[in-house]
Amino acid sequence: METLTHILNGFSVCLQPINLWYTFVGVFLGTIIGVLPGIGPSAGIALLIPVTYGMNPTSALIMMAGIYYGTKYGGSTTAILINTPGEAASVMTAIDGYQMAKQGRGGAALAISAIGSFIAGTLGVVGLTIFAIPLASMALKFGPAEYFMLMLFAMTAVSSLSGKSPAKAAISTVLGLMIATIGIDLQSGQPRYTLGVPELQDGVGFVIAVVGLFAIAEVFCTMEDMSRGVRPEIIRLKGKLWLTRSEWDRSVMPIMRGSVIGFIIGVLPGAGGTIAAIMSYVTEKRMSRHPEEFGQGAIEGVAGPEAANNSDTAGAMVPLLTLGIPGGGATAVMLGAFIMYGIQPGPMLFQNRPDLVWGLIDSMYIGNIMLLILNLPLIGIFVRLLYIPAGILMPLILAISTIGIYAINSNLVELYIGLIFGVLGYVFRKVDIPVAPMVLALVLGAMMEQSFRQAMTISGGNPKILVTSTICVVLAVVSAISILLPFLLPRIKKWREGTETA
Amino acid sequence: MTDRVIIACAVIIALVYFYGTAQIPTLQIGDPLGPKAFPIILGIALLISAGLLLAEHLKDRKSAAAAPAESQPFEWRYLKVLGLVAAWTAGYYVVLEPLGYVIATTVFLLALMAWFNRGRWQMNVLSAVLFGAGSYVLFVKLDVNLPKGVEAVSPVSAGIIAAVDVVFNVFNSIFRAF
Repeated sequence: METLTHILNGFSVCLQPINLWYTFVGVFLGTIIGVLPGIGPSAGIALLIPVTYGMNPTSALIMMAGIYYGTKYGGSTTAILINTPGEAASVMTAIDGYQMAKQGRGGAALAISAIGSFIAGTLGVVGLTIFAIPLASMALKFGPAEYFMLMLFAMTAVSSLSGKSPAKAAISTVLGLMIATIGIDLQSGQPRYTLGVPELQDGVGFVIAVVGLFAIAEVFCTMEDMSRGVRPEIIRLKGKLWLTRSEWDRSVMPIMRGSVIGFIIGVLPGAGGTIAAIMSYVTEKRMSRHPEEFGQGAIEGVAGPEAANNSDTAGAMVPLLTLGIPGGGATAVMLGAFIMYGIQPGPMLFQNRPDLVWGLIDSMYIGNIMLLILNLPLIGIFVRLLYIPAGILMPLILAISTIGIYAINSNLVELYIGLIFGVLGYVFRKVDIPVAPMVLALVLGAMMEQSFRQAMTISGGNPKILVTSTICVVLAVVSAISILLPFLLPRIKKWREGTETA
Repeated sequence: MTDRVIIACAVIIALVYFYGTAQIPTLQIGDPLGPKAFPIILGIALLISAGLLLAEHLKDRKSAAAAPAESQPFEWRYLKVLGLVAAWTAGYYVVLEPLGYVIATTVFLLALMAWFNRGRWQMNVLSAVLFGAGSYVLFVKLDVNLPKGVEAVSPVSAGIIAAVDVVFNVFNSIFRAF
């Protein structure tokens, strides 16, 4: 009963005019960031952090969440009209969405992705509302050892699931953890790896790293493409932004299935929206009675993945809010924002600041309604953003990144660090090392070391504490499974194929 | 090829990191592990990860000797352009404080746009100037500190800022009216 009161109180928080306004600003910016290729939710949120310093944390977090789920709506527009995902998770939407647009059914594709996004986004928030309390109360039992194992699990899962090569992702993770150790050690007061640079004493700010790794690196990649002469072709939007009855009938079940798949993938660490979308696409293709239409403009191939990548965002908020442990890049940046406000998300937050937690969760219901309006009747306005030449947009993103970094401490050295991260991110992309694991490790690194050392202090230096409680053992087992998964999957597949043919 | 470079880099980074770890002075206070234990684990983890990549690399080579060539091989021509962009950006940071945000940003943008959005100079000048002045006003309104530099004495850019500020205020009051 008490929970229900909190949930309803959350609405009284998020319906305050100021919070409604920031929800709107968040989803509006989110749609823009989603539409623009080259800048995604992680960089978008990171760039806004310095601007939100003076704001009330509830409003700021509502806005950042709005950007996060808003990008998924916007990303599909770009995918459908120029065959480039505006945001990584809409990569599957591009396959059939672009074909639909070429056939003059772009309006239907945009409509179904907005409607599917809305249904899935809302169902996802319902799931978040339902699962938040039980998970948070379970997390109350977590000690330092459990937290350490949980973070280990988050990192192993991200390593084995992002990108093609788990080893490269592991290198990215460990490098992120190493960068996180730079700075003064909080327990002993010793400076570590600072090379005598005073700016490094407080460690490498994660906003700087995220802006460099995502925004600046993406600008470099796009500039390289431009030099190569790669130019996307924009399809003019024709026809009504609506669906026929049969198109709707074909889309309902994919949206429902996509919502469930997306939410589950979202809750689990590591996978994220892109994998949710791929899984939904594969599922729909397999269940379809006409799989040959997939890739030729099947509306199911737009509806399902779009639903999946939207309910994924709500799912990803579950571990962030209840455990305080993010499972991917964008939620890691949000954790960084929480910490900057001196707020530690996790079970205690549900007890101490129910207004903030539920205000944030409930604002997602409202934000999804706003997004439906922005992305259906008003989508024409955002489509115009695609006509901005990349040659103008990319320099602007560089300038905005500069403002974002400079605004933190008005420090020039941090600008150079950001540029170095930009070059690093570009190189990583060129050699297929994923950057999301590095960002997650950067944000979690300090916490991970703290909980590790606290656990060791409790046990007097005996590492056995990491496997004494049931929760720890379970987490250790799932971590081990997630490490072995990429090695086992091909074998299992081979074995199954072998038995089928036999 | 790239795999082997990555492995070599990872091993070198691990060694440098071990060296850096050894440089941390230890005083036996605080927790039993001290500031070195966790970094040592990380160094070992990086070596293990590099080993994993080596295993992957060897396996790939065995299973797919005729693997398709890399889709986008490095080409020095493009790398040179990017190197210039990075250097230009670094130069922008050097003059940011002495010149001030508005002038430095406008010049920075103009050059990049002239290169990447060639031939459409009217559009480029308009967007560079509008962004330079507009973003300055917007972020000052948002209490973000941007370097003033010579703007304080330069009447031209001060005039631009004032003009944009007026427009901004008009929009603001229209907005408030709703």
